[in-house]
Amino acid sequence: MSRPFFFSPSALRRLALAAAVWALAWAAMAALDGEVGLSGLAMLLVLASALATLWLPIGASLVATAAAVAAFNWCFVPPRHAFAIDLRQDALLLAGMLAVSWVVAAVVARQRQLADQSRAHARQAEQLRQLGDALRDTDDPAAQAGVLRDALAQLLGSAPSLLVLAGALPAQDEPQAALVLGEPDAHALSGLWHCTRQAQAFGPGTGRHADLPEWYLPLRGRQAAFGAMRLAFKAPDPPDEALRVQAQALCDQMGLALQRAQARREAADAQRQAQVQGVRNAMLAAISHDYRTPLAAIMGAASSLQEQGERLSAAQRRRLAQAIVDETTQLSHLTDNTLQLARLDTPDVQLQLDWESAEEIVGSVLARARRHDPTRRVRARLEPGLPLVRCDAILLTQLLDNLVDNALKYSPAEAPVEILVRHPGEHLVFAVRDRGPGIAPGWRERVFEVFQRGEVFQRGEVAPHAGQRRGAGVGLAVCRAIARAHGGELRLRPRGHGGTSFECWLPAIPPPPMAEDPITEALA
Amino acid sequence: MKVLLVEDDRELRNTLRDALAVEGYDVVTAASLSEGLALLQHSPVDLVLLDLSLPDGEGDTLLATLRRRQATPLIVISAREGEGQKVRLLDAGADDYLVKPFGVPELLARMRVALRHRGTQVQPAVTRYVRDALTVDLASREVLRDGQAVHLTPTEFNLLARLVRHAGQVVTHRQLLTDVWGADFSEHTHYLRLYMGQLRAKLEHEPADPQLLLTEPGVGYRLAEAQD
Repeated sequence: MSRPFFFSPSALRRLALAAAVWALAWAAMAALDGEVGLSGLAMLLVLASALATLWLPIGASLVATAAAVAAFNWCFVPPRHAFAIDLRQDALLLAGMLAVSWVVAAVVARQRQLADQSRAHARQAEQLRQLGDALRDTDDPAAQAGVLRDALAQLLGSAPSLLVLAGALPAQDEPQAALVLGEPDAHALSGLWHCTRQAQAFGPGTGRHADLPEWYLPLRGRQAAFGAMRLAFKAPDPPDEALRVQAQALCDQMGLALQRAQARREAADAQRQAQVQGVRNAMLAAISHDYRTPLAAIMGAASSLQEQGERLSAAQRRRLAQAIVDETTQLSHLTDNTLQLARLDTPDVQLQLDWESAEEIVGSVLARARRHDPTRRVRARLEPGLPLVRCDAILLTQLLDNLVDNALKYSPAEAPVEILVRHPGEHLVFAVRDRGPGIAPGWRERVFEVFQRGEVFQRGEVAPHAGQRRGAGVGLAVCRAIARAHGGELRLRPRGHGGTSFECWLPAIPPPPMAEDPITEALA
Repeated sequence: MKVLLVEDDRELRNTLRDALAVEGYDVVTAASLSEGLALLQHSPVDLVLLDLSLPDGEGDTLLATLRRRQATPLIVISAREGEGQKVRLLDAGADDYLVKPFGVPELLARMRVALRHRGTQVQPAVTRYVRDALTVDLASREVLRDGQAVHLTPTEFNLLARLVRHAGQVVTHRQLLTDVWGADFSEHTHYLRLYMGQLRAKLEHEPADPQLLLTEPGVGYRLAEAQD
């Protein structure tokens, strides 16, 4: 685009075409000389001039036409071979020819200029559209910067330096706060930072620092700039003004894309914050509720023993003391769950992973359950030949403890509770199954949310009294958190003939090989 | 019988002191590690109860001081979060542990077992174990279940013997692996899992609901206390 007209190959071709038209016209005029009148020959010249104008630049066209009219005068207008003109109408003819040819040339040139302009506009619009598409394809600022730099290089003929902010504008020009492409020197880099901070263009034609041998263009968003580009050129003559305008348009498109990305990030952050805050509030509210209930029971029993001790029967005293022990156990359990939930909620939580035996974990869960399951409702069934499981034993035990407690709480006193361990394919499944009233479909996901309680279990004939319902929410939420921390999942499945199966799916990892047993070796 | 109780919480300290006094123990209390160490220098005790969440440091120094001089049993009292510290002390020779909150009967049972094992370094106190239908005689390497001889492989027997010698007390994974397989195997917990599984299959009536070979998740194993 910046190349002078006459040196481009297409210009040479155009010149050749124009020359050919003129040559043909002169040949025709020479052939027809004497056969047709002077005005007929003149029409041929006007025609040739109009045709040649299609390919010649306006200046060349005017000169060529003037020369052709002079030559026509020399060759054909009496007296021939002289510039003098005998007749007045011949002078008028020549003047008319020249005027018509010039007008045609001017009109054609203007048309051609308009066509060129609209082609250039279309090209620029197309380039902007392509850049927009490319910027939308990726959210990575580095990739976007690369795309912009390619587009600018294509437009300007050489790749500019680019500075793209990585986040908010820093107070100082910190290198790590921005992405820099094109290895600008210290001077250029400070220029890029300055341009970004001012959000204004510098260099020839911009109205600021017009004497600079370079352009600094900001990547403008709506309120501020998100970076800048720099293009250096040879000192005295800056490239075409239109190029700068188009480059600025490309830069602004990038600026807007960066602004959109920033807005998206901020919105997502705000949403996450609100969510975290909401969960925390729900948790605190529910914790205080869940703590207050057993605390009230302990307070009641203890103060009764303190004040009325002598007047109570031995059996009554024993019952109160037992209530204190039971409620304390409950509180301790609740504290374990709440702390574990908070611990698992932190980003990089460390699990104490080891090779564990499903049989042992189930065994210790059963041993604990027996203490408040004197009728032995809880049974365990393990598929033979289970592999070792890679897990944190304390966490997995806590998960199963919670599920067993829940099952005991929410199913009738005589209904069995079963711990079942299976090994389907790539997984190990620890299931705790009850014959309780089941959970309504609308609640099957919500029971895992922190602190959902009570209403869930209204269906069916079992109406556990309020005291039995408390604290289900923390328990299930921590169970799911434990399963997920192990790369597994906790699911809930309604059972065929009533009841619920909570299933913890863990990935089965092949255990390490056993070396030869050193002791058996030694004794063999 | 003299007991040193190192516990910084005043309420818990007083409650435990009274409860132990009722059982006939002579209790001296300390509110910090340094105080506990000073009391130990002064006069020997028969058993130490050590809380791990003390303001002036971890219990390792106290345990080391205790072990340098005599085989006084030490029971660790820990909060649920102090998992690593608890296991480290057990590995270093603490006799047993209790997790807060615990009941007094549980504490008394642990103390009773610990006192019974006192002096194992000098003379192997326990060589015979009887509980339910199981009889183990370490001297004759004989294992009977329901009166029938049970065949154990050498490794299985060594593992069982290690637990019998500390019946009623927790034995950590590391201690079992080191004593039965050797120091190089102290991280090979998967060995333990498989051999304990085999032992349970041979000795328990219902291996998935064990009554004898009990698991302490994340810590080790405990052979149920012997009947006597």
